[in-house]
Amino acid sequence: MKPNFIQKVTNWGNFPIVEKEMRSEDSFRKIKDFVLDHNEVIARGNGRCYGDASLGEHIFSTKKLNKFISFDRLNGVIECESGVLLSEVLEISVPQGYFLYVTPGTKFVSVGGAIASDVHGKNHHAEGCFSEYVIEFTLMNERGEIIKCSREENSDKFWATIGGMGLTGIILTIKFKLKNIESAYIRQESIKAENLDEIFRLFEESESWTYTVAWIDCLQKGKDIGRSILMRGEHAFQHELPQNLTKNPLRLKKKLEPTVPFYFPNFVLNSLTVKIFNWLYYKKQSKKEVKSFIDYETFFYPLDAVNEWNKIYGKSGFIQYQMVIPKETGREGMKKILETIANSGNGSFLAVLKLFGKNNPQAYNSFPFEGYTLALDFKVNSKLKKLVAQLDEIVQEFGGRIYLTKDSMSKSSLTNYLKNIQNPKFVSLQHKRIINNN
Amino acid sequence: MIVLGSTSEVAQAFIEKALQEGEKFERIYLFTSNKETTERFARHIDVKFLQQSKVIELDLTKEIDYNKFDSINSNLLFCATGYLGEGTEEGLYDNKNTERIIDINYSKLVPVMNYFAQKFESRRSGTIIGLSSVAGDRGRQSNFIYGSAKAAFTAYLSGLRNYLFDKKVHVLTIKPGFMATKMTEGLPLNPKLTATPKQAAACIYKAYKKQKNTAYVLPVWGIIMMIIRNIPEFIFKKLKL
Repeated sequence: MKPNFIQKVTNWGNFPIVEKEMRSEDSFRKIKDFVLDHNEVIARGNGRCYGDASLGEHIFSTKKLNKFISFDRLNGVIECESGVLLSEVLEISVPQGYFLYVTPGTKFVSVGGAIASDVHGKNHHAEGCFSEYVIEFTLMNERGEIIKCSREENSDKFWATIGGMGLTGIILTIKFKLKNIESAYIRQESIKAENLDEIFRLFEESESWTYTVAWIDCLQKGKDIGRSILMRGEHAFQHELPQNLTKNPLRLKKKLEPTVPFYFPNFVLNSLTVKIFNWLYYKKQSKKEVKSFIDYETFFYPLDAVNEWNKIYGKSGFIQYQMVIPKETGREGMKKILETIANSGNGSFLAVLKLFGKNNPQAYNSFPFEGYTLALDFKVNSKLKKLVAQLDEIVQEFGGRIYLTKDSMSKSSLTNYLKNIQNPKFVSLQHKRIINNN
Repeated sequence: MIVLGSTSEVAQAFIEKALQEGEKFERIYLFTSNKETTERFARHIDVKFLQQSKVIELDLTKEIDYNKFDSINSNLLFCATGYLGEGTEEGLYDNKNTERIIDINYSKLVPVMNYFAQKFESRRSGTIIGLSSVAGDRGRQSNFIYGSAKAAFTAYLSGLRNYLFDKKVHVLTIKPGFMATKMTEGLPLNPKLTATPKQAAACIYKAYKKQKNTAYVLPVWGIIMMIIRNIPEFIFKKLKL
């Protein structure tokens, strides 16, 4: 048996699936050889993006770049290799009283991926993107050289790489800042909203909260359109915590982590079951407003509690569709999008709405800008392409764009916003699809 | 803790597993032929667990200076040293390949193991864990040079276990089966028969705590190898395994 490294690779949405060369190395010398020996190289972290962003002809997996380098426990500065997962950072930082400044909805992304996607969280309006807290990183370029990038050193490469979807090189190590916390708990308020007008009002009222996000029932029509639950939260101080949590405020109890055992058959998720799920989710909270303390995992990563939850979408997989629409026209745009989805009958199991704050103009390749963003997931089926095309039209009409990390089939005019990344060495399937306009 | 073959992903995962379980080591001695990546691992466990360690170069293909190891003492030896080399088709008649496989998996390794075993014997305590291979259970045409070296290593560990039993030193033989590691990267392995280093480490740790004598990493390998061992030779020799 001679190794050929050709294997089936797919990202979290299980769509598309490709057979390509994928290798992983922990020696920088061997990574250099890999880069010099191939054209069309793309780095891949933990494969938690959804579409074809981290797929390419020759995939370099950063899985073996999984070591910590230093942790300044006094100032909350951590340095690690790019394949380290956010979950691994949290494992050591939370008991020491530190948390990630910015985290996406799963903790199973690599720090390299967090830079390449410049991930955002529920606090974009207050604290921006992941890149705001990156001090420096090292990048292997097309010549196999390792260059240090920061705001001062090689700053052009630094900004091109942030949100640059891996098209500037392979990120090797990263140094970034963490924020102080007093407990591993979040003081949460969840408020039910009857419709879109109410949820938009709630968002604007909640601007002083660090974390805000809304779950939206995207199958509602007419006057109920936009029926949702807003969740807003703050890291709880020790003195606020209820008695039973004060003993070990920075440590969480080990929880059971169930795993989805197999791909669900196709009939399990359909518009009826999604409707029932959404109805139950909305009715579960009987009061208009509930205040509580919940652990950070439940607040930030509810889906991580079930391993391999992507399998519930069946073997054909699913896509995520996340767009942002400028604030001024956001309400009207969102209304149109929700109407289109409700009419298509192609329900989204999980729809998440958020209000982004101002973007950092230096991070020109980052996805977020000030406006409303909606993330939806759709099972891949015969009707999906048509729905995506319809949604793309609306996003275009309202001057919005699509999040590349989740894109797999959107219009190239909504996804070609990256600048300064022309490099024939580092190419993903997504990038090829976008520049070829199909 | 003394670790031979410290760049092995299974060895590293085992160290992390033990530290996660709250084991304390005064110092971890990381023997390696690859200083650069091992030093990165040493920093990693320092950051993650505040665990002190020392990286020591050991190249089994060269002369070994045992004086360097004088001060090293521990209660646990983990040996993950291994070299797969070229398989039969490419490497059988290549003497360099054959020598290297035998040296790293057996002939040069055993004296080093013995050196530490003697220390354990004089302390009358400790555990020695050796990673052998299912390839040592029966010689197969695809990689029998590697398999024969591992068979010798398995026999060595078994004898050592017997010899050290009444000296209060325990010897554990691990037969991993397929593992998704550097050694097998790029090979088309059946995922149901392949363990990740993390899974392997958890299983080895359990076997260590239970003072098992031999253990397969995935139980299914015990069954597979039982069948393979029991195929009559006149049939076995005709099989393409």
